[in-house]
Amino acid sequence: LVDHDVVELNNLHRQVLHRESRLGRSKAHSAAAALKELNSAGRYVPYELVLSPTTALELVRAYDIVADCSDNVPTRYLVNDACVLAGKPLVSASALRLEGQLTVYNFQGGPCYRCLFPKPPPPETVTNCADGGVLGVVPGILGSLQALEVLKIASGMGSSVSRSMLLFDALEGRFRHIKLRPRDPKCAVCGDRPSLTTLQDYEIFCGSSATDKCRRLCLLSSEERISVEEYRKILDSQIAHVLVDVRPLVEVEICCLPKSLHVPLNKLERKDEKCLKSLYQKIHEEKQKAGGSMVFPVYVVCKLGNDSQKAVRILQELPYDELGLISIKDIKGGLMAWADKIDQEFPQY
Amino acid sequence: MGGAGPLRAIPCSDTVKVTVLYFARSAELAGLRTETISVPQQITSLQLWREIVKRHSRLADIEDQVVFAICQEYVPLGDQQFILHTGDEVAIIPPLSGG
Repeated sequence: LVDHDVVELNNLHRQVLHRESRLGRSKAHSAAAALKELNSAGRYVPYELVLSPTTALELVRAYDIVADCSDNVPTRYLVNDACVLAGKPLVSASALRLEGQLTVYNFQGGPCYRCLFPKPPPPETVTNCADGGVLGVVPGILGSLQALEVLKIASGMGSSVSRSMLLFDALEGRFRHIKLRPRDPKCAVCGDRPSLTTLQDYEIFCGSSATDKCRRLCLLSSEERISVEEYRKILDSQIAHVLVDVRPLVEVEICCLPKSLHVPLNKLERKDEKCLKSLYQKIHEEKQKAGGSMVFPVYVVCKLGNDSQKAVRILQELPYDELGLISIKDIKGGLMAWADKIDQEFPQY
Repeated sequence: MGGAGPLRAIPCSDTVKVTVLYFARSAELAGLRTETISVPQQITSLQLWREIVKRHSRLADIEDQVVFAICQEYVPLGDQQFILHTGDEVAIIPPLSGG
């Protein structure tokens, strides 16, 4: 059991081995304690450490089967490469929102993770569970299926998800099997002439950190961003502007700042006509009211200040011919920074 | 490949209706989870992918990070020819990394 993190309240719905009574304690020790309570005959070995390129290979070599229950892209590549280099089967499960995936990699001629995904996704396209959420039961289901494959491999029964991906759709209540490719002879790590023979720096390779703590995206320059304190001054001095909230509707229903215009990021990404029209109209109205020929400010806000940066980039590329000069900035740290630093009454979620 | 049948003498202009399933990030980018589209019966995997990207241009962002499957079977994006039938399933599956 490898984990460097400590148990937090917001883990408990999906990481079912932990308990409220063990908040703040090491996750590796908490999981070992929970398993021991279930069955004291087993041997559970907690490793309270970050799985890193320097520690991974030695650890993986000491065991026969590896289960990847991690929560981020760099760790998925690290565990894969360590398993390939050590020659161990990798039982890999993942989940997000209402979906789950299960595959056994590097087993009996089947592919490794890199055979399927040789290039890591751009970090801004990745959603993790801490950010995107997951219905707690879904990782529980995937974890049970993952344990099943571990036991099947351990007892010599083989695996039904080697060279195959099991997809679980919780909304439809449906499982699908996708037949996968065999091992790729050109794969960088498990191919016939591998270019990777030692573990590398996976955070650099993936361009993101090996944690599911919410990332801090750095898409915009500091001139394109304002702080929550600066935004508060803008509100206090009643400077004309438009505030665009780009969160999904479910989050806006929890809380929002007054007078914000809701334009969800996914609609912006699709250049949804209705949304753009309402945005143009709002800017036009507010600009008319302000009456000036100044550069009109538009501010973008989201929960944490990541999506708002993506939205600024999209908004900057739109044509504003009839609206005159517009400046578009986002609010650093988003509404959670607002709740933290400006308005303690503002809901945190 | 999977349910795609053997090559027959069929004019290339014939079209069929296939069901496209969007998983994970691809469902967000496409804005839907499933749809039925008309495509030429005889088509390469890359042409089929491009037909789908034509409908949802933002899917181009994840071209390098998807398992593309025709009739529940992975196919690489390339020149391999497929004969599709109405009702065949095409799936776009980006990896999930959360847990």
